Amino acid sequence: MSYNIYMVGVGGQGVLTIGDILAEAACRSNIPVNFYPTKGMAQRGGSVKAQIRLGHEVVGPNIPTKSANLVIAMEVSEALKAVRFVRSEGEVLLYGWIWQPTAVVLGKECYPTLDQVQKHLKDVGARVNYINPEDLPLFKDSPIPGNIFTLGVAIGNTRLGSFLDSTVVASVVNDRWGGEGDRNNFALHSGLCSEHENEH
Amino acid sequence: MGALRAGVKVVTGYPGTPTSGLIDFLLKLELDQNRFVEWCTNEKVALEVATGAAWAGQRALCTMKMSGLNVAYDSLISVAYSGCNGGLVIYVADDPGTHAGMCEQDSRGFALMADLPILEPYSVGEAYELVQRAFTLSEQTATPVFVRLVTAIANSRAPVEVESSKPPLERKALLERDITKYTKAGSVICMAQHQDVIARLEKAGRIIQKMCLNKLKLAPKTGGIGVIVVGGVASYLEEGIEIAVRSGCSIDSLSVLRVVTSNPFPTSEVQKLLHHCAAILVLEELEPYIEQGIYIEAQGSGFKGKIIGKIDGTFNRFGEYNAYHVARGICASLNVSIEESDARESYLAEQQAVPRPITVCAGCPHRGTYLAINKAIKRLGMKKEEVMVTGDIGCTILGMNPPFETIWNELSMGASIGLAQGFVYSGVETPVIATMGDSTFFHGGIPGLINAIHHKVSLTLIIMDNGWTSMTGMQANPSTADAFQQPKSQRVDIAKLVAALGVSHLFEIDPFDLVGSTNAIQHALDLPGVKVVVSRQECTIQAMRRGIKAGRVSIVPENCNLCKLCLIHTGCPAIKIGKETIVIDEATCYGCGLCVEVCNRQALIIEGHS
Repeated sequence: MSYNIYMVGVGGQGVLTIGDILAEAACRSNIPVNFYPTKGMAQRGGSVKAQIRLGHEVVGPNIPTKSANLVIAMEVSEALKAVRFVRSEGEVLLYGWIWQPTAVVLGKECYPTLDQVQKHLKDVGARVNYINPEDLPLFKDSPIPGNIFTLGVAIGNTRLGSFLDSTVVASVVNDRWGGEGDRNNFALHSGLCSEHENEH
Repeated sequence: MGALRAGVKVVTGYPGTPTSGLIDFLLKLELDQNRFVEWCTNEKVALEVATGAAWAGQRALCTMKMSGLNVAYDSLISVAYSGCNGGLVIYVADDPGTHAGMCEQDSRGFALMADLPILEPYSVGEAYELVQRAFTLSEQTATPVFVRLVTAIANSRAPVEVESSKPPLERKALLERDITKYTKAGSVICMAQHQDVIARLEKAGRIIQKMCLNKLKLAPKTGGIGVIVVGGVASYLEEGIEIAVRSGCSIDSLSVLRVVTSNPFPTSEVQKLLHHCAAILVLEELEPYIEQGIYIEAQGSGFKGKIIGKIDGTFNRFGEYNAYHVARGICASLNVSIEESDARESYLAEQQAVPRPITVCAGCPHRGTYLAINKAIKRLGMKKEEVMVTGDIGCTILGMNPPFETIWNELSMGASIGLAQGFVYSGVETPVIATMGDSTFFHGGIPGLINAIHHKVSLTLIIMDNGWTSMTGMQANPSTADAFQQPKSQRVDIAKLVAALGVSHLFEIDPFDLVGSTNAIQHALDLPGVKVVVSRQECTIQAMRRGIKAGRVSIVPENCNLCKLCLIHTGCPAIKIGKETIVIDEATCYGCGLCVEVCNRQALIIEGHS
């Protein structure tokens, strides 16, 4: 068994946190894992990526192009950076958050449209699963963390769920934040139960 | 964990991506009372502390990024000549593909130059083992030993079965007086030591061979391809072979030598491979050190086959390797064309992603300093393009980017002052400004400042003192407040130090006070001689982690006409554009108030500022 997860986003979105949780869940499930976070200038609004490789005792930390079974993109424009890594028929979770750099706000740079991004992904044969941040449920009237919700969708709605058991992932999340009654626990379960159809 | 298992007593280093994690991790553990772990002022000091311990017979580990090795090397080659008593291991990481900036140098060159053994793991698990082996090897040969990683492995996390750590080995501190070993005073001493260091490396070679660190696997049949994979590249071998097979390669007689020690050169294994194979493929990131050795061995053994690598032009001397390099190499060896999965077109999507130039965080105090420098220059009737502002390593360099575009250049730790002096000497008639952060000042800035004071050079040094080594992940440094120092450590006050050096024009500014900061910098630029401005506010990330905010910014909707002046000047990520007014993102806003200061319509107000 071998399964590769390529994750992209912007510093501050919690991309590395869900990478950490997945790696920990793999460890607890006795699945060999290599987790390679690349921070760069994460705290400074820069791009973030992380690569998880499941199922190999020794494996190169970098996923080869066209080899990711699952892409988790937490930001629309950043998703473009994962296009060349997704394999044909690979799954993509595209969280529709838009994080505009100042140059875009000031009209000096263009931001790609959602359609353009989706088209690039579909052109390489990816099965895109779009998550609209506005559709996320509220927890005690407050927004829930999009990264943990997306993690739930990954386990509940993609083939990753056949490798990592949702109860193990939930136990990692609960150990971090305190379990039932916590917004992260709620976010994970909301993601797990949500129905996200693949668009072809 | 490997070092703890080996009973290390002293661990020193200077932060730098991707090696900062080692000491950061150890400092979070409950350590034995008699184990010393610390961030030092720079890598050279760190190595000297570790060396002192190793000369006294203890086990010591010293860590740094590749650029840090340049700093430490001055002492390191001397240590190599003298040798050591207790195990001395230098943990360094190179950054092929430059994920973290700086030069893409290959640290193995230093090992070659200093005749030091170097061990290169290909996985997280092997790193754990090799650190322990390195201590053994270091003590068996009385020589410092490198453990060298690359970013992909240094930053990776993987499950490793670790044994419990051992307390520092119980060894009485050794005081060995031997000037022929521990000094370099005299040609006889130095020549003898040079012969010693060469002999020690040869001994290390024999021990490494007994340890079977380099792994040779010969194919049953002769006449096939011999693949040499060096260090971390070996982790891509299996996958690369799969791609090569998919591309149509028939791989029935592949011999593999996995090189774990680039120095000493694995002569015996290479000779066996040359005698067994018809062609050699060398897979080695950055410099072709092993490959050059193969050519020498091939010459000696009469090998006439192809050698595929960098020297024949198949691969470049820059960038990071992955499974496709392995596959390309195998395909080239067999004259098969590779499946085009890494083709140029695959980058098209990536090129359309919006650029994200790195910038300072919301509320970063450096923002105020850049704005004040720019304003002071303008007030003196000059343009930004006319005033040289030299830059330095760390977060302070971010002033190079829009919207500030204050800083012009960056060289190495503390170099901005020397550079500035050179510009002054070259006849620049406008003021010359040098900028650096607190940790950089302690690391390498002080000699440059003393030089400028000594030679009465007219320049202005601006030290942005935020109390942390922020760029590398918030390590404490001598400027960190006493409350956040490690136990048994204390703060060193930059302003007192600068004053003690004899700088008479010393200004302390608050970068959140734009008017006061601008006035002070303008005044400094007008004065002759060395002027030092210490700009002080704590790194916002650290303050926010403790729940501190400087104030609360709110909008006066009727005054905001969405002119975006606040955003144009500050580029602050906490400012968003709403439908009719700008919007402040409360979660990220620190309340520094700089947007309030640059707004000319009183559309922003701040509460809670002292």
